Amino acid sequence: MTSTETTPSREAPIQPGDVLLSIENLRACVEENEILRGVSLQIRAGEIHALMGRNGSGKSTLSKVIAGHPAYTVTAGSIHYRGQDLLAFSPEERARSGVFLGFQYPVEIPGVSNLEFLRVSCNARRQHRGQEELDTFAFEDHVRETMAIVQMDPAFLERSVNEGFSGGEKKRNEVLQMALLEPLVAILDETDSGLDIDALRIVANGVKRLALPTTATLLITHYQRLLDAITPDFVHVMAEGRILRTGDKDLAMALEERGYDWIDETDGSDVRQP
Amino acid sequence: MSNATQFRSRLWLETLLQTLARQPGGGVAGQRAGDCDWDLPSRRSEAWRFTDLRCLTRLDPGRLHTRTASPHWPEAVRQAPSGQGSPLRLCLQLDSRGHWLSPQGEPPPWPRGLMPLANEDITPGQVARTLMPAGPLPLGARLNSVTPGPSLGLRVSGPDFIHLDLGIRVEQAQAWLAPHVLLVLEPGARLCLSWHVAVTAPAAVLPMVEARLGLGAQLEEAAMTWGCPEAAFLGGSFVHQSPWSVYRRTNVTWGWGLSRDEPFIRQCQGRAETHLHGLAVARGQSLLDTHSTVYFDGPAGRLRQRHQALADDQGHSVFNGRVVAPRLAQETDAGQLSRNLLLSAKARIDTKPQLEIVADNVQCTHGATVSCLQDDELFYLQSRGIGRDQASRLLQRGFCEEILQRLPEAALSWPPLRSLLETPTPDQP
Ligand SMILES: Nc1ncnc2c1ncn2[C@@H]1O[C@H](COP(=O)(O)OP(=O)(O)O)[C@@H](O)[C@H]1O
Ligand SMILES: [Mg+2]
Repeated sequence: MTSTETTPSREAPIQPGDVLLSIENLRACVEENEILRGVSLQIRAGEIHALMGRNGSGKSTLSKVIAGHPAYTVTAGSIHYRGQDLLAFSPEERARSGVFLGFQYPVEIPGVSNLEFLRVSCNARRQHRGQEELDTFAFEDHVRETMAIVQMDPAFLERSVNEGFSGGEKKRNEVLQMALLEPLVAILDETDSGLDIDALRIVANGVKRLALPTTATLLITHYQRLLDAITPDFVHVMAEGRILRTGDKDLAMALEERGYDWIDETDGSDVRQP
Repeated sequence: MSNATQFRSRLWLETLLQTLARQPGGGVAGQRAGDCDWDLPSRRSEAWRFTDLRCLTRLDPGRLHTRTASPHWPEAVRQAPSGQGSPLRLCLQLDSRGHWLSPQGEPPPWPRGLMPLANEDITPGQVARTLMPAGPLPLGARLNSVTPGPSLGLRVSGPDFIHLDLGIRVEQAQAWLAPHVLLVLEPGARLCLSWHVAVTAPAAVLPMVEARLGLGAQLEEAAMTWGCPEAAFLGGSFVHQSPWSVYRRTNVTWGWGLSRDEPFIRQCQGRAETHLHGLAVARGQSLLDTHSTVYFDGPAGRLRQRHQALADDQGHSVFNGRVVAPRLAQETDAGQLSRNLLLSAKARIDTKPQLEIVADNVQCTHGATVSCLQDDELFYLQSRGIGRDQASRLLQRGFCEEILQRLPEAALSWPPLRSLLETPTPDQP
């Protein structure tokens, strides 16, 4: 994809259709409150999944549990990533091995330069893949090239990580990180929220470019408009910590028309797992 | 302090003062030292209750010397054009006899606008005394003024910005260095003074800086002081500001067993600007203490102060920010912020504003925060493949950046500061 990939990846090759992420009956809580109440989901290489649901239904929690956020305790169930027990790995190991979470609320880190942050993180992933690390100069070329994907101004490299970025700029920065880390499983948590039409198109194009037959994408979203740009293979609807329903893009359209109440009224008996 | 400890510290001080009085040039200082009617501050006194002087009193007065090493001048600083062209830059290092020489060991080529003062025009404490007419001088300044040795006195004039870099490096145990610098900035004069102090052995450095800023004069002072765990630093700065003068001080200190920094600034008729920015990085068993005073002796003065400290291991940071606005200091605008990062259960932060505001029409804000590394920030970095240790170090450096970015560009090329700034390397697997 980019000129810097001189050394081949040490990562085992992936065939389209391989199961990348497999979540079974996952339960998780914060302090005493159970938030995830038995989530099951399987994601294969080449697939794009959309995860929808009311505010507070547990979508972000699911994404953070996958990424390894320490605030959540898994009480039952499992997550396997490429056949390995993902829950046994630290957050940084998950990221290095190709699991990426685009945050709903990207964190501002004053004093840490965006350029340096991107370089250190990109090199951590490269090191894991057995690729040579990029020095300051090589990385700067690489990142400028990559920034073009999200049409981001290189001036953002000089700033502190996300500090003072507008909502849209933060989301572009997330997609930039995704592009640099070349994840195998990308989870994008409401990356479309708060974007104007142009920014949405840019972000959607970026995500589409990065979705390959050998990678998988989980889009957490409220809006049909992102799914108009990126057609999902599966649409899941989450409520109260469970996936209530799974369908194809028509399910998203039906939701857009009828609202989430419609899901509550139907009993979820026609749940179809991919 | 127990009686035995008190007795020991008294004995140490007396022996020290007698030794200093016997040194060459110790005549005048000797007389001052002779009448030893004072004592080291005890921890019973409010201003010293956190500050343990053992690092200083462990030095053996009988073995003190003034031998210095050559500072590791970075090329960027040393190679800068000196004397000619703009900006005017002069690098000086302290030699073993207390003289300031060029890095080549020669007497300084004074650039235009920088004129040495005659010895008889320099008495240590002359500015300090006008700023603090009552009461004793701070300990560092007191010890400085009883230590014999030449002063560096400079008159600064003209509109050109002059850069003066002063380097002190100590590598031998038992060194006792008490340089005295007096700066007289004529109206409108501009000076950028950078201190680079590096000490790698059990020793003490006790600099005293006195500065008189004329109308509209501008002094930018950057002090990078780096010591080892057995070394002590006691600094005193006394700045007299005339109206419309600007004094900016940025101070970065780390590594010392004990550091006590006591800047005292007086805006003598108000209407001046003072900016104080300090960063203390206390790791190991380091104790880094800043006691600052800004005194507004007239109306419409302005202060912007920010002190940041990072304490890890058993490090301890102390900050006491005194701001005095008597009745005549109407329309003073003072802001003080103390930000602290606490990284271990045994580390300690003591921070306290000391606002003595009598004037009624004054804007004075102050704030203090003590926090740990933020879980959300750590997790964000980790979720990008950055290991926990490396993430923690990135955040620590990010915390320091606010102050570091105020240092002059050339200061950043000093090796010790570079190592403080280094991009943390990935955790070893
Ligand atoms: N760290 C947390 N502490 C306490 N409650 C939390 C935490 N994270 C999530 N929750 C709660 O879990 C529920 C699901 O939240 P979230 O996963 O953010 O929902 P969604 O992303 O679907 O809007 C909400 O009720 C929320 O308040
Ligand atoms: Mg959410």
